Amino acid sequence: MLLIECPWCGERAETEFSYGGEAGIARPPDPDVLSDAEWADYLFNRSNPRGAHRELWNHAQGCRRWFGVERDTVTYRIAGSFRLSDGSDNREG
Amino acid sequence: MSRPLDRRHGLEPLLAELSGSRTADPGASVTIRNDLGHINVRGRAADAGFVQSVEQVLGQALPVKPNTVSLDQHEVFWLGPDEWLIVTPAAAAAELAGRLQKATSDTHASVNDISGGQVVLILQGAKCRDLLAKGCTLDLHPGAFAVGDCAQSGIARANVLLALVDEMPTFMIVIRRSFSDYLCRWLTHAGRDEGIAFKDS
Amino acid sequence: MQPQRLPTGGRIDRSKPLSFRFDGRKLEGYAGDTLASALLANGVSIVGRSFKLRRPRGIVGSGAEEPNAIMQIGKGAHAQPNLRATQVELYEGLVARTTKGWPGARFDLGAINDIFGKVFSAGFYYKTFMRPKSWWHLYERFIRASAGFGRAPTETDPDHYEHRNAHCDVLIAGGGPAGLSAALAAGRAGARVILADEQDEFGGSLAGAKRNIGDAPADEWLRRTVESLAALDNVTLLPRSTVFGYYDHNFLAIAERCTDHLPEADRAGVRQRLWRVRAKQVVLAQGAFERPLAFCNNDRPGVMLASAVSQYIRRYAVRPGRRAVVFTNNDSAYETAIDLAEAGSSVVIVDSRADGAGSLGERAAKAGISVIAGHIVTDVVGRRRVRGVRVAGWSGNPSYLVESSIHIDCDLVAVSGGWSPAVHLHSHAGGRNAWDTERHCFVPGEAAQANVSAGACNGKWSLRECLREGIESGRAAASRCGFEAPEIDTPSTSEGHYNPLQPLWRVPADAEPERCPKQFLDFQNDTSVADIRLAVREGYRNVEHVKRYTALGFGTDQGKLGNIIGMAVLAECLGKSIPEVGTTTFRPAYTPVAFAVGAGESVGDLYDPVRKTAVHEWHVAAGAPMENVGQWHRPWYFPRDGEDLHAAVARECVAARQSLGIMDASTLGKIDARGRDVVEFLERIYTHNVGKMKIGRCAYGIMLGEDGMVMDDGVMARLGEQRFYLTTTTGGAANVLAWLEAWLQTEWPELEVFLTSLTDHFSTIAMVGPNSRRVLERIGCTIDLDKDSFPFMAVRDAELGGYPVQLFRVSFSGELAFEINIDSGSALEMWKTVMAAGEEFGVTPYGTETMHVLRAEKGFVIVGQDTDGSVTPVDLGMNWLLSKDKDFLGKRSLARPDCLRSDRKQLVGLLSSDNTVLPEGTQLVEAPGAPVPVPMCGHVTSSYMSACLGHPIALALVAGGRARKGETIYAALPGREPLPVTIAAPVFYDPKGERQHV
Repeated sequence: MLLIECPWCGERAETEFSYGGEAGIARPPDPDVLSDAEWADYLFNRSNPRGAHRELWNHAQGCRRWFGVERDTVTYRIAGSFRLSDGSDNREG
Repeated sequence: MSRPLDRRHGLEPLLAELSGSRTADPGASVTIRNDLGHINVRGRAADAGFVQSVEQVLGQALPVKPNTVSLDQHEVFWLGPDEWLIVTPAAAAAELAGRLQKATSDTHASVNDISGGQVVLILQGAKCRDLLAKGCTLDLHPGAFAVGDCAQSGIARANVLLALVDEMPTFMIVIRRSFSDYLCRWLTHAGRDEGIAFKDS
Repeated sequence: MQPQRLPTGGRIDRSKPLSFRFDGRKLEGYAGDTLASALLANGVSIVGRSFKLRRPRGIVGSGAEEPNAIMQIGKGAHAQPNLRATQVELYEGLVARTTKGWPGARFDLGAINDIFGKVFSAGFYYKTFMRPKSWWHLYERFIRASAGFGRAPTETDPDHYEHRNAHCDVLIAGGGPAGLSAALAAGRAGARVILADEQDEFGGSLAGAKRNIGDAPADEWLRRTVESLAALDNVTLLPRSTVFGYYDHNFLAIAERCTDHLPEADRAGVRQRLWRVRAKQVVLAQGAFERPLAFCNNDRPGVMLASAVSQYIRRYAVRPGRRAVVFTNNDSAYETAIDLAEAGSSVVIVDSRADGAGSLGERAAKAGISVIAGHIVTDVVGRRRVRGVRVAGWSGNPSYLVESSIHIDCDLVAVSGGWSPAVHLHSHAGGRNAWDTERHCFVPGEAAQANVSAGACNGKWSLRECLREGIESGRAAASRCGFEAPEIDTPSTSEGHYNPLQPLWRVPADAEPERCPKQFLDFQNDTSVADIRLAVREGYRNVEHVKRYTALGFGTDQGKLGNIIGMAVLAECLGKSIPEVGTTTFRPAYTPVAFAVGAGESVGDLYDPVRKTAVHEWHVAAGAPMENVGQWHRPWYFPRDGEDLHAAVARECVAARQSLGIMDASTLGKIDARGRDVVEFLERIYTHNVGKMKIGRCAYGIMLGEDGMVMDDGVMARLGEQRFYLTTTTGGAANVLAWLEAWLQTEWPELEVFLTSLTDHFSTIAMVGPNSRRVLERIGCTIDLDKDSFPFMAVRDAELGGYPVQLFRVSFSGELAFEINIDSGSALEMWKTVMAAGEEFGVTPYGTETMHVLRAEKGFVIVGQDTDGSVTPVDLGMNWLLSKDKDFLGKRSLARPDCLRSDRKQLVGLLSSDNTVLPEGTQLVEAPGAPVPVPMCGHVTSSYMSACLGHPIALALVAGGRARKGETIYAALPGREPLPVTIAAPVFYDPKGERQHV
């Protein structure tokens, strides 16, 4: 079970969180101008890397904030978590 | 004419069920507080005007440090960077909510009286840390969770707001009304070796 | 009478004799015994039959590695299958049964399999039971029945199990010399320490050892150390506790057996406890497993691990044999020989090494033990019990064929093939293992998490090294947690010199493995050297494939004995080195864990939270059966005088349409949304024009996922210029709120909107039917309720019977209807008030079933029942809800080619040709006579008998259905002819919608 650092509440058990997929997928400002392929890319395609992955988590059982986590998809090691609103990174070291 | 406030907490049937099985020397006791009102306040901690307005109405500080509770005239819990819960005597809650609403009306804020939706359980006794550890993943060691600390987490499969209000220790558990029967039944089951007693406030 | 019990010694309590039963026989042991030691004391040599070949098997080990003595312990509901007798503490009245062998281990009908043993080679099941395919279910029954492995009780488990979450600075797995030293070092530094050991007492290999630590006997050191630890408040000692899994981020699981060692009548409280530990640092000190050697018939009862023989003598004062042959390739087994000699047995050591042992060799010689160096045991004589061994000279060539051998009479063969560190937890944590070419074993490589291995589980065999590594690792772990760790001297121990181990796995015999008696690697699965060789001949190369083909290591012991030598044999066959072949993956659980301890408190009524509305107790008192809707318990229907579901629902439907029904709708999700940008936000979320809504009015809204599929729906109300009240489906409440917050927090943080859940604060009472207005007026309402003052889809704050309420004129039934939102603390009172005021109109409470019928008669969908995540609003015929003037989530997807197909499944009504209520989920076909597989064109999503219409109705999703009204298609019903059904409009009742506007 992962130990995830909420940027506000500190380290909590994985059971308090829900997963939100890859971070940084911005909604296109004007969907109507996109081709079907471009829209499908936004909808369905994700980078799915082997290694470092920046992803969204929600502290669902806690402060209900959405935040980012950089997690290694092979080792599950978490390099750090970061707030989305101000871009500040809570990563240590 | 409004009716006088005489809320049911909904745990009356459970208490009736348990009334036959009083534990002689309980390691933990649960008091169901029926006399408290709950106000949810949202606003930005960085908005000085908002914080000042709320503090003025409350007469006490709005805790901006995560996972702390300000224990004074009211219990004011930090719930998130823009969300707080005020627990106050039930009789005064609606009026307090009204004043908060008014004081924050010209800024980005939201005040909701949610008294009907929450139940407060006061958990006391020598064994209550052991009991909580059976269902809660927080580290409740006195060195890790001190008086004035609060946290939203889970007990068994229910979401709760948990706070340590004195060193007795006394824990305050705030739970959504619809889950309170489940949580009390879980506490009864989990605490049967420690001994657990329930009472109505 | 315990024939093999020594007159003195051991750590058993001879003043406490205990009687127990084994396969019906009444036997006796002592307090302090394990079931295995008591069986050996009684001279029981056969404790089970092997899985495939049904060969008689005896006790091999003394701990977690035991493959043969797998027992069913206890009776009735308390019984536990598949426990290792070596780890079951004896108690008065214990009842044990062998789990393998039918009708019993001593006489097993399946033993005939052994005669045909050549047939049961690797891959036998795969090869034999493949054809004919349709017979597999017959084969499976036979295989399962004959496989044994215990029976789970069919009764409900009466015992209490619990979970316990814990946090610590240093968790130490294993309480032998290394673990105890680590605990003392970390504990004295002030760290929060948990020390767990699977045995009933701490000490590991030290218990009963005739060694000195410092100036005291080992037992004395042990006693003092455990006392010191117990005196430290910051140290938690967990005996009888197995650390069975090491998971991500230093999360470990421990199964504690609290009362399993007590007579059933004396057990009170928690039987087993699951510790879920988050540790900052972990010290692994679980010791090592002794390895057997693969010689012919090495599975005969009486062939045991040398270390186990020593354990039985030292700790339990049980002598497993009177005439022993000790067969070894290393020094450690010489201690066993000395133990045996001291216990009065005659002993011969057969040492594969030409030079024999170091210091221990000298001690053995002094004890008068004869050593046959440069020799090997090639075969075992005896079937139900060892009667002797064949011994031959050997010069170290692994492919040597033995030409001549001598016979030595014996009743015990104590084997040591060297030691393998218990790297299991290190591996669970993600760490790799490295082959140590000097010690010939896998040792832990670099740790993948915050853990370190110490002592024998790090490949350190001497007591001094174990103590030193324990102290060092404990201090280091504490200091990594920020504690100042005081120096502790390593106590002195006398260590002799050791001769190196000689690598030996498969022991040469007088023929190739295929032609000589079986040389077993895995006793539980009867995997032999010949099986590994066969797998290689058939083309298997990868160790994971060979494992699966031969079942090596697949038993409940997970190959703790046989895996390493199996891999060594594989390496030999492939002409590779052992590290090149590698190990298979170690996975939790280290030893089997009872399902019950995994479930903990989450059983029965506590399996999942039951959410109750404020009116719940009234529903229960009224005798309503409950339906689970998500976690909520909602009344299903309210039967009167022996009514069944159908009769009750028919009555309730008619009452609601003709006079007055009342329903508890409190489970709806409720959200307060407000802020300067709330309209802009809701415009992006909902498909309709939110901005055009007038204050005090409601609207039906749907929200889509970005894929254009309907996600949730509900009535929303505009309460102010910048304030809305949203409702969601019962099941979608939490998800919708999280989804809305996600957009606000991640995508549109510039929008000033706050959302607050009011789901629990408000209870919702729906009053439905032509008399609803009249009853509200009778209760006393502070606002005018007539059609013009309070029209359809209006919302207003009011006082009702003196209670402040929010009153909505909305309808999920098509009737004149109101919904009352009231503080949940007063909801029961309000419900009773309505019941009393409505009495003269025959007010009828109804549940979820009637609600479904009423809404289906009107063609109102339930998201999640009539939709399934692949349905667009266009499919539902809700184009009127889709604003053309704005963007909203999912809008772009509606223009994707797939969403524009004309043959998409669309919502329609269905009328069956007879009075059949079509089962929900029924598949619909165009042409029933078409060749199989018949193409399907849709399915039934909702289906009920409509009492008000006098015939059944159904909603369905049918390909291109909206353009096909009046056409006939067919419902595929099990066990009968396809039924013709007619496609209709989905609104069956009051299609013009006049009744709700009165």
